[in-house]
Amino acid sequence: MAEKNKVSRRKFLVRGGLGTVGVLAVGAYVFRNPIRRSILSMANSMEMGYMGDTDTPMIWFEVTNENNILVHSPKVEMGQGTFTSLAQMAADELDIAFEKVQVVHASTASGNIDGMSTGGSTSVSGLWQPLRELAATMREMLKNKAASKLGVSVGELTTKDGAVHHKDMVMTYAEITDGVTEWEVPDTPVLKDIKAYKYVGKPLARIDLNAKVFGEPIFGMDASMPDMLYGAVVRPTKIGAKFIKADTSKAEVMPGVVKVVLEEDFVGVVAASLQQAENAKNAIVTRWESPNGLQTKDIVALMTVGNGKTTIIQKEGSALEDTAEGLEQLEFRSPIGAHAQIEPNGVLAYVDGDRATIKISTQVIGITRKEVAKRLDFEEENVNVIPTYLGGGFGRRLHTPHAVQAAVMSKAVGKPVKYFFSRKEEFQHDMFRPPTHHVLKGKLGEDGLLENLEHHFVSGDVGNNSVLLPNPVPTILGADVGAIRGGFIQYGNVPNHRSVYWHVQLPFATSWWRSLGLLANTFAIESFMDHMAIKANKNVVDFRLAHIQDDEIGIRLKNVIKAVSDKAGYTDEVVGGKAMGMAASIDAGTPCAQVAEVSIEDNQIKVHKVTVALDPGLAVNPDQVKAQCEGCVIMGISAAMHEKMEVVDGELTPTIYGPYHMALMKHAPKEIDVVLLQGIDRPGPVGEPPLGPIGAAIANAVFRLTGRRLTEMPLSLS
Amino acid sequence: MKTRTLYTFCVLLLVGIVFAATKGPLTTTYLHISETDQSEEASDIAFDKMMDVLTHQRCVNCHPNDHIPKQGDDSHPHYFDVVRGDANLGYQATNCNTCHQSQNNPYSGVPGAPEWSLAPHSMRWEGLNRIEIAESMMDPKRNGGRTPEETLHHLTEHELVLWAWEPGVNADGIPRELPPVSKEEYIKAVKTWFKEGHRIPTK
Amino acid sequence: MKISMHVNDKLHSVDIYDENTPLLWVVRDILDLKGTKFGCGKAACGACTLLVDGEAVRSCSYAVKFANGKHITTIEGLGTKEDPHPVQQAWIEEVVPQCGYCQPGFMMATAALLNKVPNPTDDDIDKNIINVCRCGTYYRMRKAIHRAAELNASEASSTTQNS
Repeated sequence: MAEKNKVSRRKFLVRGGLGTVGVLAVGAYVFRNPIRRSILSMANSMEMGYMGDTDTPMIWFEVTNENNILVHSPKVEMGQGTFTSLAQMAADELDIAFEKVQVVHASTASGNIDGMSTGGSTSVSGLWQPLRELAATMREMLKNKAASKLGVSVGELTTKDGAVHHKDMVMTYAEITDGVTEWEVPDTPVLKDIKAYKYVGKPLARIDLNAKVFGEPIFGMDASMPDMLYGAVVRPTKIGAKFIKADTSKAEVMPGVVKVVLEEDFVGVVAASLQQAENAKNAIVTRWESPNGLQTKDIVALMTVGNGKTTIIQKEGSALEDTAEGLEQLEFRSPIGAHAQIEPNGVLAYVDGDRATIKISTQVIGITRKEVAKRLDFEEENVNVIPTYLGGGFGRRLHTPHAVQAAVMSKAVGKPVKYFFSRKEEFQHDMFRPPTHHVLKGKLGEDGLLENLEHHFVSGDVGNNSVLLPNPVPTILGADVGAIRGGFIQYGNVPNHRSVYWHVQLPFATSWWRSLGLLANTFAIESFMDHMAIKANKNVVDFRLAHIQDDEIGIRLKNVIKAVSDKAGYTDEVVGGKAMGMAASIDAGTPCAQVAEVSIEDNQIKVHKVTVALDPGLAVNPDQVKAQCEGCVIMGISAAMHEKMEVVDGELTPTIYGPYHMALMKHAPKEIDVVLLQGIDRPGPVGEPPLGPIGAAIANAVFRLTGRRLTEMPLSLS
Repeated sequence: MKTRTLYTFCVLLLVGIVFAATKGPLTTTYLHISETDQSEEASDIAFDKMMDVLTHQRCVNCHPNDHIPKQGDDSHPHYFDVVRGDANLGYQATNCNTCHQSQNNPYSGVPGAPEWSLAPHSMRWEGLNRIEIAESMMDPKRNGGRTPEETLHHLTEHELVLWAWEPGVNADGIPRELPPVSKEEYIKAVKTWFKEGHRIPTK
Repeated sequence: MKISMHVNDKLHSVDIYDENTPLLWVVRDILDLKGTKFGCGKAACGACTLLVDGEAVRSCSYAVKFANGKHITTIEGLGTKEDPHPVQQAWIEEVVPQCGYCQPGFMMATAALLNKVPNPTDDDIDKNIINVCRCGTYYRMRKAIHRAAELNASEASSTTQNS
């Protein structure tokens, strides 16, 4: 039996992958651009693994008295159905009925949180190997313990339905664990064959369905504690506003106010009720210093290819000269986008002596803890971050400075303080999807195929300046790992192709927004591919297929394009006032192709049907993979056709749903047909890749209907 | 914008006429001021005051010429594509009262008043000038069969109309703009105009 | 001010300092029914939708004083796991929720719709269901609304047969 601290195969596997990336990233610093490019390309296709404990099954799995298994998930459930897939994986390796597995959020106190984040569509794919290995190890531990309790040899034992069986003796997992305080961790056993799994691969109903249908208090906003007070923090409305001073005298004497908290970097108020806190906040007269009157047009001018610093992220063959004969060139733009998740950011903090408890909807449990501990000057161990279900994540909850503010306010009053953003604050202080500008250039050869294809694009920050990427990383890489997502040319057979990234620093924060650069980059590149196919007088399916190389990812990409074309019955013709548009993308190693069926009604673009072909590898829960495709299509329609933040006189606006147009029920296609392919035998990323093609697919259909090439999101005919 | 310009033009024209009428003798004295004329003049002044209110965008917002209520000082179409519905109250289950109550809501900034609803399509004012609006308002075929007395009552006592002077705060907590004429002055003007025979100026 | 109201068929009496306090916060923070959600506070997103005397109301914009003497239904009172409301049953069958935050508001709006229009068309759904869902579950919601109408109808017909 192995020692607990022995480096097992399991440990090596999980840590190995990440170590390699780390070494490569540091190595890149001393190498020249070709190496940098290969790393950036890796960063584009790579799935981040899981970063956390893989040694201690006991903190992952808890056996309850009712003989249920509680899985303590290191990742948070943001809506992607992750918990259900984890339960399926655990049930299969633990030999227990799926219905007997429950999944809860691990807290920092329980140890197995993810050191980085929940994001990047990697929860299921990243935990695929470690979770099953831990579950299998746990099963062996239960068998070992049962053997010693029963006084028989382990070899005679089998596991089934949450119990260990020996001839006609049955000992449930609950009975085995009863009274046991010490466990020995054996070597990880060989995992079961995937074909032997009863639950993995099945479209089982979400395990959080009841909680969400019957309105259970599972979200950060629902958290409460006895004697809880309410906090509010004053925020400026202007971009780049610097806090000068605040007159809090009126607020201090208002009904219900317990304390006005004046810190160097913020002013907050704590009161007995939410309304009292809000009223007092509104009574604080704050002076800010802010730069004058920025407008949207200033941002657009700034955000133009040619501005800022440049990095060639992909380079094959020679560059296309601007004077080249037959040069085709189109420009595309995408606007500032808001997360607009329905649950506002909020937090409940209780600082009691030298300990702090933080209940919060966060995607960065570890970072939230680190920031709170640092501000309070506490040991990290003394800060327990208890994550909750997220009322939408989409990248918005990768930043949690409000946890620090709530902790400071709680410390000041010695009671739990709950505080959350107003909707206006949520819109104005979002970490937006950056606006982008793209220049696509191409040239056809005599055979009607592309000789050159180039993508030049500029974007605000995504990964740069975020807490997830330590400072030197952007400098080392030369390009923003988030902004370049989907910005690569996926048509390897084009003899000369390149992708050139420009970085511009915006005067307001932009950051991770579901699928990062994928939606805008794919919109630009795939609209241009459509344009070139038409120039070449070729069918858009054949035109794409001809340019894709025959390596593993290329074959998978071709397969989704063929599958979507077959399923949708793709045609270049307009039939009965409806036209189809196609687009394809690869995100984090997951290829996706979509066909949108569109008509024009009262000069409005109407999307009737979207067919999706996705190759996520092994779909642990095919129904939830489909749900992600449907959700991405609709969120993508919302972003590509409706949403836009403006800058007016130095303020980000609008600040409420309605004026911030989003897709509603009536804008959602009545039909979304999803085809799943399995090009690899393990789960790949799912939550973001289906967001890629939708904008271009719709715009390409609009071209067939109107002859107009729409080059700006949100897509509009007026 | 065009309609706004038209309103401004009409207002200026009427002000001009009134100005010309009162100051007439100083310049060319082609207007003879008789007793009747004086009461007509009072009626016209009252009419203008009344119409300054009734042509305010917040009045017109709920008297659209299509089936879409308008919102705000810029009279944009009501967000979320809310429309009139069968009873001028919106759709079957999502209707005016889903969001609008009998009073303004100080926290959300959602306006409210008793009988919050859209004026019937026959009472559409959007795009009409003040004379046309007045004609519509007094025409029983279009005003819901109201007698002049009933119209007077609607204009001076209906809480939804008088809400104009208690419009509450908007979504940002900022008080909404008040009509250009005070409530007392408006009510007085309406009563005068009706008393003087609710004569609609021809120009 | 003292407010008496029936919430999920139980009479509650609350003493409230500010009678204009949105019903949402009374339900959430005083009655501790957290199923009704805060999304925008401006009656724009619909996450706080509940029923007042059977009508859909956005409770973030509904002063608690108006609730006096009324019958309020929240998601907790719509149905139970043992006896789900047809809307909840349909939501389960179609596996609608993703993040789940906006879902109670949608279910309450749907319950109100089915009260008025037992068999809504797609057009009825488009017009009446104007809450906001960020995860994009509209596609499954539409299916669930039609399914709920079916369940309602079969429930009604079996009740008629039994009586």
